[in-house]
Amino acid sequence: MGQTERIPEIEYRLLQALAKSRGDLEVEDLAARLETDQAQIAAAAVLLERRGWVEIRVDESREWILTPLGKEAVDEGWPERRIITAMDESGGSLSIQEISSKTGIDPKVVGGALRFLREREWVQQEGPVLNLTSAGAEALGKETDEEVFLSWLSGRDQERVHETDLTDAPVPLADAAINDLARKRKFLDAKTRARRFPSLSDEGRRALETVQPQMEVSQLTPEILAAGTWREARLKAYDVGLDVEPVVAGKIHPLQRVIQETRKAFLQMGFTEIASPFVESSFWDFDALFQPQDHPAREMQDTFYLEKPGRVELPRDSATVERVRAAHEDGGETGSRGWEIPWDPELARGAVLRTHTTAATARAVAKNPEGPRRVFCVGQVFRREAITFKHLPVFIQVDGIIIDEKGTFANLLGTLGQFYTSMGFPHYEFRPAFFPYTEPSVEVFIYYEPKKTWVEMGGAGVFRPEVTRPLGCEVPVLAWGLGLERLAMLRYQVLHMRDLYLADVQWLKDAPACPS
Amino acid sequence: MPVVGIPIELLQEVVGRSLDAQELQKTLSRMGCDLEGLQVVRRVLCRRCSFISELGAQEEIPPDCSECGAELRDEGATEELPDLEVLRMELLAVRPDLFDPGGLGRALRGYLGLETGLPKATVEEPAFDLHVDDMVTKPTSLRPYIVAAVLEPVRLDGERIKVLMKLQENLHWALGRDRRQASIGVYDLDTVEPPITYTAEDPQAFSFRPLGTTEADGWPLARILEEHPKGRGYSHLLQSFTHYPILADAQGQVLSMPPIINSEETRVTGDSKRLFVDVTGMNPRAISSALAIFVTSLQMLMPEMRIRAVTVRREGSEPMPTPDLSAASHTVRVSEARRILGLPLERAQTVELLERMRHGVLKGNGDEIQVQTPSYRNDIMHEVDLIEDIAIAYGYDRVPQVLLPTTTLARERPVELLSQRAREVLAGLGLVEVVSLVLTNPEVNDTSLGRAPSENAVIVANPISRDQSQLRTQLIPGLLQILSQNRHRPLPQSLFEIGDVTFLDAKSETGAREERHLALAIVHPKAGFAEVKAAAEAIAREFECTLSLEPYDEPPFLPGRGARALCRECGPGGAETMVFGEVHPEVLEKLGISNPVVVLEGVLMALAGKDPLDQDEWRRDRSS
Repeated sequence: MGQTERIPEIEYRLLQALAKSRGDLEVEDLAARLETDQAQIAAAAVLLERRGWVEIRVDESREWILTPLGKEAVDEGWPERRIITAMDESGGSLSIQEISSKTGIDPKVVGGALRFLREREWVQQEGPVLNLTSAGAEALGKETDEEVFLSWLSGRDQERVHETDLTDAPVPLADAAINDLARKRKFLDAKTRARRFPSLSDEGRRALETVQPQMEVSQLTPEILAAGTWREARLKAYDVGLDVEPVVAGKIHPLQRVIQETRKAFLQMGFTEIASPFVESSFWDFDALFQPQDHPAREMQDTFYLEKPGRVELPRDSATVERVRAAHEDGGETGSRGWEIPWDPELARGAVLRTHTTAATARAVAKNPEGPRRVFCVGQVFRREAITFKHLPVFIQVDGIIIDEKGTFANLLGTLGQFYTSMGFPHYEFRPAFFPYTEPSVEVFIYYEPKKTWVEMGGAGVFRPEVTRPLGCEVPVLAWGLGLERLAMLRYQVLHMRDLYLADVQWLKDAPACPS
Repeated sequence: MPVVGIPIELLQEVVGRSLDAQELQKTLSRMGCDLEGLQVVRRVLCRRCSFISELGAQEEIPPDCSECGAELRDEGATEELPDLEVLRMELLAVRPDLFDPGGLGRALRGYLGLETGLPKATVEEPAFDLHVDDMVTKPTSLRPYIVAAVLEPVRLDGERIKVLMKLQENLHWALGRDRRQASIGVYDLDTVEPPITYTAEDPQAFSFRPLGTTEADGWPLARILEEHPKGRGYSHLLQSFTHYPILADAQGQVLSMPPIINSEETRVTGDSKRLFVDVTGMNPRAISSALAIFVTSLQMLMPEMRIRAVTVRREGSEPMPTPDLSAASHTVRVSEARRILGLPLERAQTVELLERMRHGVLKGNGDEIQVQTPSYRNDIMHEVDLIEDIAIAYGYDRVPQVLLPTTTLARERPVELLSQRAREVLAGLGLVEVVSLVLTNPEVNDTSLGRAPSENAVIVANPISRDQSQLRTQLIPGLLQILSQNRHRPLPQSLFEIGDVTFLDAKSETGAREERHLALAIVHPKAGFAEVKAAAEAIAREFECTLSLEPYDEPPFLPGRGARALCRECGPGGAETMVFGEVHPEVLEKLGISNPVVVLEGVLMALAGKDPLDQDEWRRDRSS
């Protein structure tokens, strides 16, 4: 044959160990001898048995193990011994009632102990009183065989003894007595155990003369690779199902992902991205949008006004300011009758945290009133709301406008529909709504299948002439302002808006980057 | 927004036919009403004042009556009325004519095509005069405007009196701006002897018995303001005056002290047969609209009821009969409706749509339609408002959704593009992104880090909570807060954030400006300077930024373990691009963090070799 067969190193070493033994070593002993774990030896033995090189004798036998109750009996003394000792100390008799208090034995087990006392004839009962018998007096100074046996067992490794090793006990105890210790006293537990004794077959003995151990490699190293020894080595197969230390992918926040998708959707439709400051004048946030100066939304209770900076300059272009004033007071040249209340420039100078990104689009109309032009703005907006499950004082909005001579309400609905379709929500609906700065106005709802409900997403409309004309714009302006948190909440199954911000790191680690 | 419950039975009576729940919900939603759903309401009548409390199915009877204060849980104090099925609707501030079953039913009749065009609105000959004393136009007792009407006969059985009171309350909210601009008073006319005088009286010397009192004597006006529940609630509207507005009759019997409370003697009950109604206020348009809506809605509920004028007389002015229920004239161009809506509208169809919204149309032809809008529609300011009505009548669900054919070019903000790149880099370093609120407070932003509150922070004048009283000036504090909140979660935790911080800036148009920052924070038992320096170098490498480091001992860093990175290429003398280092144990202790933490914060534009002042286009455009 020429070539030497190589077998796994562990199998080779097992064969060697068996060659030196007489078949009286069980797997446990072999593992200790070869300084490896039992599972590996057991597996190797089974593989060698299949080749006919090893025979395995299975020895099923019982093993006795000390229970916690037995351990207590050894440490504290057996209940019946504690009782006769206490009787002896009280002059040879004791009332049944006193037993528990004199001995400290749990009242629940006193009854059991009495039974054993009577069985051993150590006591005699007279009414409620127990008297020590002569056998009892004799027992005072002498441990029973059972007591000796239990003490011996408690001194053994793992407090256990195999039934074949019972002969090692200092006192011979009949099987019946041991069974009683287990069943009646619950001092012992019996366990059936299969012991496996591998031994070398004749074939195995012959094989050992020809086979060689195979080097086995788990971790590949630069040395092994450089020397090429991996060619001879056996590359150990791993259990691919084993647990490993978890690692978390670095990733982008779910809300941020929705923001980026939103930006992408509008960029794809030819929109230019713009920004406006968080700190905004009431002029751009309200007045330019034809929000009357006594509108509830402008009150201190709904809007954050600022202490620093408290006031903001009005636009330098005083003609624009003048046209806005006129639109409010009597409509000016917009064809409207206006709000018919005096317009106060001081109120327009009040600094606020912008309540909507529509402030950005209003600025965009003023800056470049001639179409065609499409712009959008994504950013934080502020409302004076306490932090609750549903509300936050800051949230993200996307505002967009289309300035286009040919722009119509139908185009507005078309654009919004396109947006929600690209965001993955093709089931949407438009309902009439009312905003001070758009006419017609519309609210967008999307259908949320898991809850079978319509969820409001935001408002839109065609800017009123009272908004556009004072800003120098004569063509239709289609406009919208939509919330993004709700989209993120629907997409990532987040129940409460505040959970998006008050971050639970574990949730962020767990939130999938590519949810199905 | 307040929510109103519309009794369905009453609504069907006004509409003139039964409406199944589904049809009703669908129609109202197409009309733009914000429906919350249907509800069964339990009703309990207070035997003392006849006020009806409405309760949810599970709700207990309140301890006392909200109107007269009677103890409702006493034996025999209340009477259970039959349950009521109501439609719960959010009030639309701009459409106060839809707040009650009368007005809503009127609109539904039109929308469903049962009765279209302008509703009849007849005001009969004046019943009597109302004299306005000069006192109410003086700055010391200013509430100059009043309109009034007489309604007879009325039938305030069952739900109607409740509907009347609710409508009054809701109009106070929507048109009255919580009674300042307009407030409505309603009285049993049979307890009043005309003519009526509207004047102002001395708060100490003048007295009357306010609604709900059980005392036989009158209360001085000042006491009403101090002690009566309604007086306390609205005292801010009168407090600064030397004299308070009073309506009184020919016998000197007080009707009310607008806008606070009526007198007990003129109380409206379920048995009242004739009503006197007034609206006072600061805004003539608001009071006229409020009265028009109030009387026309009630007429829908009580078709036999007639509206009679009251003549308001004022020294030096022409006598003015009120209410004015005449329609307003507007012009709508069919071509303009087509242009704005993008619908293929023709004149005949447009007229029909307008009429379904209860507008009247004068005979004519051509492009221009002469429209008569009802007096209760105070929201019609412009042709576009009527064009919206046309769209609503047409049905938003039938409007075709069409994309504009115009081509425009997309352009994204440079700072957003940079932010996206930075996100890739930071996530690539194994960090998980967080998003925190830009609103913060001096404790979190500064003092918890061991430094004085920032002087360049934007400060809120009316914070809703001390926790959100300013805008953040740095990202690190927010990240440390998140680590603190997550201190019981497994380590390591490696986080980053990219977002705007805000500084006061006198050179900026609005006095402040944003700056886009990036920041990271890492916590684990072996977190140390070397780790964060390696991250800083990785970031600098990706932005092609050469770092020159100098020690930086400012909070929150541990002195000797903080660094400031300057980039020579990024600005003359070196622009500050990043600070990073180990967080001081004192800071960690305060935050309850028991593992070392390293943090880094950088200025995105500076890292990219740009001036941070160039971040916002709107600033740059202004300076150019």
